[in-house]
Amino acid sequence: MSEKRRKEIEEKRAKLAELRKARAIRNQEPPDRRWAIPETKKDFEDFVDKIVGPSKGGVDSEDFTPSSSMPGTPGRGPSATLPTRSSDSGRGSRQSDIPERLSFGGPVTVGSGTDHVIDRPLTPRGYPDLVTFEQELFELPQKERVVYNKEIQTTLVETEPSQDYEEEVRQRIFREKDAEAEKLAREKELEDISVKLDQEIEREIRDLTEEERASIVGAPEFLEFVEQSSKIVQRALNDGYDYIRDYRIGTESGGDDSEGKRVKRVCEFWDERYVKNRSITDIDWSPKYPELSVASYNKNPAALNEPDGIVAVWNLHLLERPEFVFHSQSDVLSVTFSPFHSNLVFGGTYSGQILLWDTRAKHLPVLKTPLSASGHTHPVYAMQMVGTQNAHNLITSSTDGTVCSWLVDMLAQPQETLELIHHGHNKTGEVAITTLDFPDNETTTFWVGTEEGNLYQANRYDRAGAKAGLNQYDVYKGHSGPVMGLHFHPLVGPVDFSDLFLTCSVDWTVKLWRAKSLAKPSTTPHALPPLYSFDEADDYVYDVKWHPSQPAVFGTVDGSGRFDLWNLNTDTEVPVVSTPVGSGRAINKLEWDRKEGRRAALGGSDGRLYIYDIGDMAIPRESEWTDMQKTISSMMGGGQTNGV
Amino acid sequence: MSPELEQTLQTLTSHRSVLGYMLITRGQQPSIIRHSGVVFEGEQGKRYASVVARIIESVQTGLEEIRGDDGLSAAAGESDADDIRFMRIRTRRHEIMISPDDRYLLAVLHDPAT
Repeated sequence: MSEKRRKEIEEKRAKLAELRKARAIRNQEPPDRRWAIPETKKDFEDFVDKIVGPSKGGVDSEDFTPSSSMPGTPGRGPSATLPTRSSDSGRGSRQSDIPERLSFGGPVTVGSGTDHVIDRPLTPRGYPDLVTFEQELFELPQKERVVYNKEIQTTLVETEPSQDYEEEVRQRIFREKDAEAEKLAREKELEDISVKLDQEIEREIRDLTEEERASIVGAPEFLEFVEQSSKIVQRALNDGYDYIRDYRIGTESGGDDSEGKRVKRVCEFWDERYVKNRSITDIDWSPKYPELSVASYNKNPAALNEPDGIVAVWNLHLLERPEFVFHSQSDVLSVTFSPFHSNLVFGGTYSGQILLWDTRAKHLPVLKTPLSASGHTHPVYAMQMVGTQNAHNLITSSTDGTVCSWLVDMLAQPQETLELIHHGHNKTGEVAITTLDFPDNETTTFWVGTEEGNLYQANRYDRAGAKAGLNQYDVYKGHSGPVMGLHFHPLVGPVDFSDLFLTCSVDWTVKLWRAKSLAKPSTTPHALPPLYSFDEADDYVYDVKWHPSQPAVFGTVDGSGRFDLWNLNTDTEVPVVSTPVGSGRAINKLEWDRKEGRRAALGGSDGRLYIYDIGDMAIPRESEWTDMQKTISSMMGGGQTNGV
Repeated sequence: MSPELEQTLQTLTSHRSVLGYMLITRGQQPSIIRHSGVVFEGEQGKRYASVVARIIESVQTGLEEIRGDDGLSAAAGESDADDIRFMRIRTRRHEIMISPDDRYLLAVLHDPAT
């Protein structure tokens, strides 16, 4: 801006100089014209002096305005009066001249000097001659002068065009590239490392604090998880077969035992925690899951705060511990799976209570019969489930002769109670039942074995010709000691042997009987002899069971720990296979597995449940039945060769 | 630790072919709850733990992938959802059995040859 102004001023100066020259010429020509001026000149000079005084202090070149301004305005100051190009006479021009000088401050004295110089020749004049003086004034608009500031943004590069320099440059470029590449590579490396570290941190196994561990371990679901998964793992562990085995590599020389007549031990169920010091009192196989079996145990005399009665469900695939364990407050003497509900297990106890456990529930029974006179008050040694899916009952018997029939879901009281009383007995009417069995397909009549050694038939209901209760007239006399086991022949195969039953007793014998037909009930007491007697054993025979699929095969267990397998078609006097089981302690119970009878469960008095496999002997041939018929008839026909 | 738990784990380790077990939590940060056996000590144990956890997670993701996101209704998806129930990895020398749960994992290392 200031430069602009300065240029304007210089232009004006130049013009003024011209005008001065012109004035000077004019002044010399018409000097008299100038005389009129002095009066006004003096005023003007006074005015100028006035202006000059103050103007010295405050010259402001910034206030120039190109437009014409009134010369006679004192308030505006000297700067305002500068660019005047009035059409007045020299006074105006002089005025403009002086203010111009005044505005610059500098050449004032000069101006005043020249003024004085000019003034001196003017003052002696007399009458001024006024001349109109015209001058065209051109107001030229100020040109907008656009000014640019040019600057270079790049740094100055020394330009030394030389071969070396090019080489240098090239090298520098390469170096930079390498450096950059290195840097990039390093960065990438660092990034990779950091990513990897992040991943590792994520994966890093955190150490648990003690409280966390305690809280996790205390949670019940953790316990359950451990129980479940350890069970699964143990079952998998028990599966001994190495399935990546390569048979091409023959390492062991297979010592194959001769198959045929051999009874092999599969496994032995025993758990120290639950079953220590107890004896097995009863066994049953699950009708639904062929690998499951249940065993009931009596009391552990050493540990008095443990439950008196234990029932354990064992899995063939899990040898180390039972699948389920159920507790009872008194010794459990008999146990059976419910054939119609795969989850239910019934147990009869020493106190006379019948208990129902559910595998889905925990240790304690879900249902119990009351300890009252309506149920049993004596030990329940035998029980059996009879009926069909829709109409089934649990029949239980206790040693006081009471036989009760229960509905599964209503254990609060028995559906019916039957007191077996032997009226004709010379000492007591009571019948001390030790075992009970129903023939296959019969639900209303059953046979019982007693502590005396006699066997009786009983009816649940009144029927034509027979009353409910004990049939005291048909006494199956044969045993001289308490009857420990009674088993009817299963109804399987072309020939019906279901009227044959076996009993075993403390008198070291096993006897085969034929059940008297119910069509003709007797009215007078008479004794029925056994068909045959097996006297092989050297000790109490604790249990006898027919084989489920072989008509002529049955097994017995005795007090010396022997398991005898008999086949009547082969030999009626000695067992086919006689195996010592366990450590020589008595075997209490025997139960064949339901499917094909390949396996037998033997319950020992040491608390161990042995599973034996009889292999091919379980498979009956076609001729077995007819052979059996012959055998039976020869037994009957042969009379009393083996004696009663 | 309740005695039943101790007992259960004790029977597990007393099996003749078992070399050790490890209980791990599942989730973002797997951590070892308990372990036993020489195989699972210290650093190696931690490595085993992280590897097992990763294996289970990847198999689980694989199962979900198999099920596929057909855009079927969420209800149908829930009922079909397949989870790993049990895993047995048989290597030449050992066998690792892994039994997972929603929250925990039991891994057992045993030598089937014994």
